[in-house]
Amino acid sequence: MNNLSQATINAFQLLLSGNAGIWEIISLSFSVSLSAIFIASPFALVIAFFLAFFQFPGRRILISVFNTFMSVPAVIIGLALYLLLSRSGPFGDLQLLFTSKAMIIGQILLSFPLLVAMAHASFQAADRRAWETAITLGAKPYRAFFTLAHEVRFGLIAAVVAGFGRVIAEIGCSMMVGGNILHATRNIPTAIALETSKGEFSHGIALGIVLLVLALGLNAGVSLVQGKGGLHS
Amino acid sequence: MSHLISYQGLSISLSGRLILSIDQLAIPFRQCTLLTGRNGSGKTTLLKIMSGLLKPDAARIDYQGLNLSWRQAKPYIQKDIIYLHQQPYLFDSTVFNNIAYGLYRNGENKTSAHKKVNQALEWANLSHLAHQPANSLSGGEKQRVALTRARILSPSLLLLDEPTASMDSESKQQTSLLLQRLNAEGLTIIISSHESHTVSHLIDRHLHLENGHIEELNSASRNNKVTPFKTTKNTHINE
Repeated sequence: MNNLSQATINAFQLLLSGNAGIWEIISLSFSVSLSAIFIASPFALVIAFFLAFFQFPGRRILISVFNTFMSVPAVIIGLALYLLLSRSGPFGDLQLLFTSKAMIIGQILLSFPLLVAMAHASFQAADRRAWETAITLGAKPYRAFFTLAHEVRFGLIAAVVAGFGRVIAEIGCSMMVGGNILHATRNIPTAIALETSKGEFSHGIALGIVLLVLALGLNAGVSLVQGKGGLHS
Repeated sequence: MSHLISYQGLSISLSGRLILSIDQLAIPFRQCTLLTGRNGSGKTTLLKIMSGLLKPDAARIDYQGLNLSWRQAKPYIQKDIIYLHQQPYLFDSTVFNNIAYGLYRNGENKTSAHKKVNQALEWANLSHLAHQPANSLSGGEKQRVALTRARILSPSLLLLDEPTASMDSESKQQTSLLLQRLNAEGLTIIISSHESHTVSHLIDRHLHLENGHIEELNSASRNNKVTPFKTTKNTHINE
């Protein structure tokens, strides 16, 4: 118990003292996960919109595929990506394995089905009159899409926040395709795993606190956003 | 050219059921047409096809002297024809922004759009609601905002789907007055309605949909229009 208390105190000291190693890991984590979400979100939202608003062959199959991929473990995505990016794999020449770019690709793959599924639910629940009204008032389809996205923005923000929450805390994919290399690909989850295995609990707890605060912040943000949406519904 | 627009060989089936099969439908300039038909007769479907929101199985369209397929006509009719839902949809913003929406989408600059919106708000006696959230308005107010939002774009044809349904009598009267003024400004209007008495004073022509076919029941002369709200027109709404 004393060890745990001491480790927690040390963890706060590490965070508050601006320990360069710790903050480098935190910064890399955010940089990789935010990049993945920024890249994945626009494509995911457009696909979700098409799935919700247009009828085309294979639409139901696509929805099922995205729903299924939502529950695929991160380590499986990591394994598949590892095989694709390894030297003997089809994309080995790109030399992306064990780089932060590989981690971003992995996190895009991880977040994409969740983003599509949640955004699809939001667009599905949207009032079709919003789209028709925008079109009949002279909006081009892409402008009407932005109008519709604005109408369901609370659901879409919740989707993006949930997607970020999924990737910032995942370890399986980052460990496999990033390799947990110091100053290069070590992010919060992989660092926690490493430091804990070395017995450096204070480092692990310090990074755990960051994830915990982030989780609390994201949840509070989503609740706030969804609550705001409720006022208008 | 005697007609604003005419549709030939218009047909559509939904879920294997023939909804509309119309040989010829011509819309004369500046007339107000009442479209009736029982529930499920295809009134909304017809209005959505006419406004370019729904693709028919077949149709040829005469518009501005051109004989066009529906696909060719779609950009023109979406630009010039505005459809208003039974319960108009107002975007999650202020009344002002709702009315300005179409202007901005059509590339109007901010200064000019603001001026036009303020004039339109005055025209519809809605200036006091300009900065209210649109979603907080009553059904009648929403309908008036939607009509103003349509008018500001100067459409050539306005399609109204049950514009006075589920409204109290005062709201019906105000909406009816706005419609009367729009028609008096030269706007061609088609009103789908069960409550023909509410709009009877506007109607030049009465079309009825039955089993997917359209027939003209009678055509009243403009001079014979009943104007039950004539005495209140100037007191309620600023000219």
